[in-house]
Amino acid sequence: MNLGEEYDLVIIGRGAAAFSAAIKASELTSGQASIAMIGYGPLGGTCVNVGCVPSKYIIEAANVHQAQINTRYPGLTGVRTEVDFPALMESLREAVLEERRTKYSEVLRSYANIKVFDGKATFTDRNTVSVIGENGRKTISGYNFIIATGSSAKVNKIQGLQEAGFLTSETVWDINTLPKTLAIIGGGFIGLELGQSFSRLGSSVKIIKEHSTVTAGIEPELGEALMASLSGEGIEFMTGRKVLRVLIRNGKKVVVTSASSGNEEIEADEILVASGRTPNVASLGLDHAGVKFSERGIAVNGSMMTSNPDIFAAGDVVDQKYKLETLAAREGAMVASNMFNHTDKSIPMDQIPWAVFTEPQFASVGYTETEYTLRFGKAESRTIPLESVPKARILRKNHGMFKIVTDAETQKVVGIHVVSPYAAEFIIEGVYAIKYGLTYNDIIESSHIFPTVAEGIKLAAQSFTRDISKMSCCME
Amino acid sequence: MKVFGMTCDDCVFTVSNGLKSAGATDVFVSLENGTASAVVDDSVLSPQDLLKIPVFGEKSHYKAQVRKVE
Repeated sequence: MNLGEEYDLVIIGRGAAAFSAAIKASELTSGQASIAMIGYGPLGGTCVNVGCVPSKYIIEAANVHQAQINTRYPGLTGVRTEVDFPALMESLREAVLEERRTKYSEVLRSYANIKVFDGKATFTDRNTVSVIGENGRKTISGYNFIIATGSSAKVNKIQGLQEAGFLTSETVWDINTLPKTLAIIGGGFIGLELGQSFSRLGSSVKIIKEHSTVTAGIEPELGEALMASLSGEGIEFMTGRKVLRVLIRNGKKVVVTSASSGNEEIEADEILVASGRTPNVASLGLDHAGVKFSERGIAVNGSMMTSNPDIFAAGDVVDQKYKLETLAAREGAMVASNMFNHTDKSIPMDQIPWAVFTEPQFASVGYTETEYTLRFGKAESRTIPLESVPKARILRKNHGMFKIVTDAETQKVVGIHVVSPYAAEFIIEGVYAIKYGLTYNDIIESSHIFPTVAEGIKLAAQSFTRDISKMSCCME
Repeated sequence: MKVFGMTCDDCVFTVSNGLKSAGATDVFVSLENGTASAVVDDSVLSPQDLLKIPVFGEKSHYKAQVRKVE
């Protein structure tokens, strides 16, 4: 090995998982571990640059605009204000730059042991990578590796799509013109969030989906509730449709779809492809490193170790159910801890919450009723409508639902799923309930603040034992 | 072994004692290089087992990794 290019830890990638791993490894070794962080593109990866940060920015801006138009309360007249879309997008990009500067670029200054390399890394053997960057090729060796290369927007092969041009959740932040009409191919959480935002800012939005549900794997009745709410404000869902091809006609983009009812063409100024994420495993030379992978990502055991015991993986590049920034960062830190503490800690996936930041929000943790029944035999569940929650009535927001899934024998909570305002803010109650094995009675016997939307979780728990329509306010 | 977290002679003493207490012999710890070498009877204690002794444990300030086994 060339000592000048040898590191205690080599991290491939420089997003949330990579930073978290590098910082944790630095802390555990008192800053004495030499760490190489190799990657390309802007520091910080998906979340800060093209994911959570810009999407939440445009969502909040769109919500403010919507609140000006629809005040919800009698006596308050709505006002339709102008949207200066170029100014909004410019401020969004500045917000991203600022977040990247404070949470990534400047953070690195605190860690002299971390050296960042620009370039694409490819394994040449089990402990060496070749890095090709603007300054040529470099060989870097390490005693430990973490692969945290993240994921990219998935774009399926569609005839004519490349020629017509399209946006993804990675390129949409560069536009300065609000499309009058927007066709979204795919309706997962990215498509829903961006679809509602653009709709609220003034675009006419059509979401084209192959499946009938909004997002695969969620409780169907909650998916329907969310879809109904979004449809109610003008977003058109075209479900059960397969995209055949895309073409340009009279300066417009045309998406040709097929369904059992026949073919249909959807004309739009712009197309947003939101078909999910694909793990960045290509060109890593994983075969040379003895790391098993598939198109779903890198295979790991519970402690995130790959098939090569000296190489771990964390974040979106891993073959796992969720692709979330919080999970990636937690995995990065855990991997560093397992590596330097010689532990084999793991993260229980049934305790990972996730959310869709539409309005109303969708938030979920744990098993759906179907998942639990298939895996463990028998589940019980209760579902209550949002309108049974007093705070929701005060907010004059009635689109939503609470569902609690329990083990049929132990009454322990195994899943909580919510469509409501602020759902992402209080789903943590479900995380604690599952983590600490609480029953629905434990939730009932815990005082909740009145009036809050979060009280819906307690009401859903109470619905296991009684008819909540016959209860007075706040009673246990 | 590579040893992380040593900053002074007291650290060298602590790490050395930790290794010896675990059953290692011929222990040599270098503050300058951040390394330690030791002899173990691998029918009793493997080099990997040394990484889990209390002085390198989760609550310890010191961390270690095996670099070379002869």
